[in-house]
Amino acid sequence: MQSKLSDIELIEHTLAGNQAAYADLVKRHQRFVFTLALRFTRVREDAEEVAQDCFTKAYRSLASFQGQAKFTTWLYSIVYTTSMTFLRKKRVVTDSLDDENAYIQAESQASVYDVNTAENKSRSFYLNQAIEQLLPDDAAIITMFYKGEQSLEEIAVAMNMETNTVKVKLFRARQRLKEKLERNLKHEAKELI
Amino acid sequence: MNNIEEILWNYIDGNCTPDEQKAIGALIEQDEAYRAKYAELLLLNKEFSAIELDEPPMAFTYNVMEGIRAEQASVPLKATVNKRIIWGIAIFFVVTISVMLVFAFASMKWSAPGVNVNLPVHLNLRMPSVSSSTTKMIIEGFVFFDAILALYLLDAYLRKKIAAKHV
Repeated sequence: MQSKLSDIELIEHTLAGNQAAYADLVKRHQRFVFTLALRFTRVREDAEEVAQDCFTKAYRSLASFQGQAKFTTWLYSIVYTTSMTFLRKKRVVTDSLDDENAYIQAESQASVYDVNTAENKSRSFYLNQAIEQLLPDDAAIITMFYKGEQSLEEIAVAMNMETNTVKVKLFRARQRLKEKLERNLKHEAKELI
Repeated sequence: MNNIEEILWNYIDGNCTPDEQKAIGALIEQDEAYRAKYAELLLLNKEFSAIELDEPPMAFTYNVMEGIRAEQASVPLKATVNKRIIWGIAIFFVVTISVMLVFAFASMKWSAPGVNVNLPVHLNLRMPSVSSSTTKMIIEGFVFFDAILALYLLDAYLRKKIAAKHV
């Protein structure tokens, strides 16, 4: 059962030495942090490692959290920087995250997808499949905007970008997501959209 | 703004000024192309909101808290030692060395054959005689303690060196 206390109250309890309060904070945000990490790493084991690292870093720096921004915005900025560092270390991403060629393989896998199985899958399955085919930045922006309850300004803070850049990226990410969803669903797309 | 889609997304997200909002609302009402696109984007927006979050492993929270506990436990001893203890030891040694120096200078005979040393300050300290049996015992005890301490530190140093070689 999750705590009814607010994030700020849980942080105050944690800073007072109550580790159980921090465990509640982790439980509350672990799904989102893990999902966000997965958007970048694409491998569950790596996402788990990154997400754990994020919560450990957040615990260490909790005293420096000013409370001027939302705790989630602060936490997501840690997720973003930790994921970027992780990717750099693993050399998964080399020159640019915008190099879409790196994801051609994932796309081609989706394009040979069996239409007959479509009927048995849920809509969210296709949506999540389409998100997985997006560039990490696009997938992260979409996830933060729709599931992280973050405004464009907050996403800009978390990703260390200009608000206008995030706005443009969100627009493009939506277009790409729509295209990929349509491609994956083929005939079913018309029914879904 | 470049195209209908961008305009409508801004309208849906509420990123327009009140005037723009009003104008776009009117366009949706009057223009069939706008109305159809708006309906399509609204549906997409609803679908995107239904994105499912991935579930981390069951033991995720436990692992995070264990990691934090392990990190706290592995803080090196020198980082946890109270600084006042270190200051206390330092003061003890400074005082001991000072007393020994004063004692040594006070018991020194400032004369030599053919040399006449005139000190600017005449030391007239009455120090305890080293020849007395009690003082001799204290000094011997002090030297013995120092020798044990030196051996202990040497042992610790050598152990550290051996351990470092094995890593």
